[in-house]
Amino acid sequence: MNALAAYIRLVDRFNRRVGRFAMYLIFAMMGVLLWSSISKYAGSPALWTLEMAQFIMVGYYVLGGPYSVQMGDHVRMDLLYSGWSPRRKAAIDTVTVLFLMFYLCVLLYGGISSTTYALEFGERAHSVWRPYMWPVKLIATTGVLLMLLQALAELFRDILFLRGISVDHPHEAGL
Amino acid sequence: MSYELIALFMFASMMALLLTGQRVFGVIGAVAVLAALPLWGTGGVEIAFAQSIKLMKWYPLLTLPMFIFMGYMLSESRIADDLYRMFHVWFGPVPGGLAIGTIGLMVVISAMNGLSVAGMAIGATIALPELLRRGYDKQMITGVVQGGSSLGILIPPSVVLVLYGMIARQPVSQLWLAGALPGLLMAGLFVAYIAVRCYLQPHLGPALSREERAEITWGERIRLLRAGILPFMIFFLMNGLFLMGVTSLVESSAVGAVSAMAAAIIKGRLTRKVLENTVRKTLGISCMFMWIILAALCFGAVFDGLGAVRAIEGFFLDRLGLDRWQILILMQLSFLLMGTFLDDTAMLVIVAPLYVPLVKALEFDLVWYGVLYTITCQIAYMTPPFGYNLFLMRAMAPPEIKLRDIYLSVIPFVAVMVLTLLIVMMFPQLALWLPAQFRGTLQG
Repeated sequence: MNALAAYIRLVDRFNRRVGRFAMYLIFAMMGVLLWSSISKYAGSPALWTLEMAQFIMVGYYVLGGPYSVQMGDHVRMDLLYSGWSPRRKAAIDTVTVLFLMFYLCVLLYGGISSTTYALEFGERAHSVWRPYMWPVKLIATTGVLLMLLQALAELFRDILFLRGISVDHPHEAGL
Repeated sequence: MSYELIALFMFASMMALLLTGQRVFGVIGAVAVLAALPLWGTGGVEIAFAQSIKLMKWYPLLTLPMFIFMGYMLSESRIADDLYRMFHVWFGPVPGGLAIGTIGLMVVISAMNGLSVAGMAIGATIALPELLRRGYDKQMITGVVQGGSSLGILIPPSVVLVLYGMIARQPVSQLWLAGALPGLLMAGLFVAYIAVRCYLQPHLGPALSREERAEITWGERIRLLRAGILPFMIFFLMNGLFLMGVTSLVESSAVGAVSAMAAAIIKGRLTRKVLENTVRKTLGISCMFMWIILAALCFGAVFDGLGAVRAIEGFFLDRLGLDRWQILILMQLSFLLMGTFLDDTAMLVIVAPLYVPLVKALEFDLVWYGVLYTITCQIAYMTPPFGYNLFLMRAMAPPEIKLRDIYLSVIPFVAVMVLTLLIVMMFPQLALWLPAQFRGTLQG
């Protein structure tokens, strides 16, 4: 039991840090897009801005994903769910979260194969700037892995809760 | 397996899993990859991740986090408070005037933001308590805030139309322009409804008393007009530069986000707490949207690849043997029905890909249909038991407004929305005239 709790705390803390970093990437996106319009106005439009902003956006939502799970921002259809007791919610979540994890595993598998391909063949985007594709794929794959670790942490949290031990999310614990 | 059976299997398992209350993106993604694995052989495994690249390359999606940021910046920093006071003073003397002023406020907020959440937050926390204090009927004003804030997704900029543009492969700028006139028409009809109702039943919306009006000098009225300057600047920097062809679509969304932040700084409202809340909530909502879109793209690709879309077309066109208008009306009705039961974001990205090919096959204008689709979404947002706006309202409204009030309050406003929907269906030029004036001159 202690091992499960330790795992949850470790993953929570790590993903929270990653998410807090990703959260501020919105300003990087803003900066890049502003630079795009300024450089165009100044007569020498930058070629890299749009793709750069897109890469940042991928980092933003993939790396921020686990933190948003911690904060409970992902909508659920709560017609029945909202009426259940916390125990019942936890019990049903322990089963249904396996579907979520299955989806993430398939995503991870595809991510690894796509990233290896990009690394092996030096894949580039079909654009004027022609950036390498492996960095963004690596970031996306890492984010999916972190999401999977977070989903596992949610599963462990529910199991512990059903046994009478509650491990709060970091923001609930007042961090 | 036949196409019909595949379609039925995917939908039935999705609905069943959604009912367990698991996170929507996980449910959609799981059903998609489960259907892809056995039916598609080994290539099906890559399809889920391939969608993340597709999502990245669809460039108007960059506007999504920008507009979410802008909406939270406007509501968290409360820079719209002064704006409310302006409408309040100028419209106060007429019966129902404050409610009419609230609609005006909502139109201005809608023109600066692409979701209904900012209008809802401002309406529920500033306008509602004030209107209650003035003895306005609580059911009417709850409806005013809900109906008014839903204009956020119809009046440009609109996040819903960005998502629709991705599905229907239509330029977002055309869609936004198409939404402008129907949005103003709907706002006008709201105002007409309030004015007539309060003229007939003055106790629902008492006018400001004579003494109170005397207290407000003309000097103050003029001074309050200055509250409109900042929103106008934001509006101009964002939409004006875009319409003049200076900035592209995504650039202008960034300009909008930065100018909203600048406005908060000028007003001295950008505290640490406001910044923290804005940035954190923006991340949460953006992640929620993006992960659902990622899963829904996968669902759509599998559904399409297995030929299940043809099943739906075949059902409407061959089995039922209806003419194109009957099919269109049937589609809108089924959309409304599903909208009341399905989660709204999921509905947006799941149902639209099924219907858009059909609309195209029937040779309707896809830009025009985008407007019909958005109005239907607005209605779905407000109809119980599932409605994004209903939930937000329940979370934000003052305690004396009960769930019953919230549910009852939407009835007349939904009726006005249905009326607008019918008008736009009968007169497509309402939506299509404005975009035709700008065709080919805009970037994105």
